[in-house]
Amino acid sequence: MLTIQVPTVNDQPADFDWLFQTAHALAGDRLEVTFDFSECWFLRQNAVAFLGGLARQIQYRQGTVRFAWETMKDGVRKNLGKNDFTVAFGHSHYPWTDNAIPYRENRHVDKNGIMEYLKLAWLGRGWVQVSPQLRDAIVGNVWETYENAFEHSGSPVGVFSCGQHYPNMGILKLATADFGVGIPGSVRGYLLGQGSPEDRVLAVTAARTLEWAFKRGTTTKMGQGRGLGLDLLKRFVMVNHGRLEIFSHEGYALIDDAQETYTNRIAFFQGTMVNITLKCDERQYCLASELPNEPLF
Amino acid sequence: MKCNVYSLIGENCITLNDGQRVFDLIHPELAAGRSVELDFAGSNVFASPFFNAAVGQLLEDISADNLNRLLTILNLGPVGVNVLRRVVENAREYYSNQKVRAAVDTVFGELATER
Repeated sequence: MLTIQVPTVNDQPADFDWLFQTAHALAGDRLEVTFDFSECWFLRQNAVAFLGGLARQIQYRQGTVRFAWETMKDGVRKNLGKNDFTVAFGHSHYPWTDNAIPYRENRHVDKNGIMEYLKLAWLGRGWVQVSPQLRDAIVGNVWETYENAFEHSGSPVGVFSCGQHYPNMGILKLATADFGVGIPGSVRGYLLGQGSPEDRVLAVTAARTLEWAFKRGTTTKMGQGRGLGLDLLKRFVMVNHGRLEIFSHEGYALIDDAQETYTNRIAFFQGTMVNITLKCDERQYCLASELPNEPLF
Repeated sequence: MKCNVYSLIGENCITLNDGQRVFDLIHPELAAGRSVELDFAGSNVFASPFFNAAVGQLLEDISADNLNRLLTILNLGPVGVNVLRRVVENAREYYSNQKVRAAVDTVFGELATER
């Protein structure tokens, strides 16, 4: 029996480190794990999505997980109740939702379910003043992260999401986690297999593989000229003053309107974790509005 | 031929599989030199995987000139047009570079066989 003391987990890089180190420590089969929350004062959306996914991963490996609800401070228990994490793991529902956006598990692609989640539960709660056109543009871009996870990761337990609205900061966050092979895992296989000598150099570090994955037109899948999703999402976030963070293996991509950086960190996570921050004010957004007349092809 | 995307796919045109369904419908018509109208009225969320499959791969065996002449896109808003244009630009590069395409497809064909 292993007991994990969960601290307060925000969404700074050090908080992600704790999540990834914990996952690494719990990578075995048939583990019996208890998560103790007596030292935890708050869990941000990234922590909720990740802990849910980690629990499912442990169960998938024939282990057992117990969330020690009785150790939770009232605020933490309420927060996990409001976003339905408690319901997902067999505990009671909390009747109010406030600023919480539901915790969600998707074992398989469920495009309409995920779209409903993003449109209604994430954006559509009245805290983001967006036109239908902007709403559709946002969810279309965010879908690219789900598509990437479902198509490339091979995560045996699926994709885990949770969001949070921070009214005082005027921002909306969404975190997704998958427990698959990670972006460097799929990119390395491709670059080392058929890449040029320059490509093979890129494959050496996780940071460089993330950089490669964010370039327009790069893809590890054959046919159909794919490889645009992360580039489109990146550009959307940069133009619209948002923030996009991706952790995969030891690679870390940070993209906002001031920077696009790819670095290597110490903590390693086999899968991929995405943390997206968007502004709640439509005036911050710039959408394509002109329809050029030149031929499409 | 007129293809009503909303009737076929619905509001959310975002997945590769849905794009493939549209491709399977319109490709034979276009390949035979017949006109196609792709009408997006009622569909409002778009992502690149859908357009990659539905439209991007048309460039594999139909020339850009013929597609400009035969394929008409109707009722696609500016956000959808933006995604579609980027997909087409990307597909044009991919399908025009035979050497890269052959290398990518060979390696992944071999990997798929090994698994």
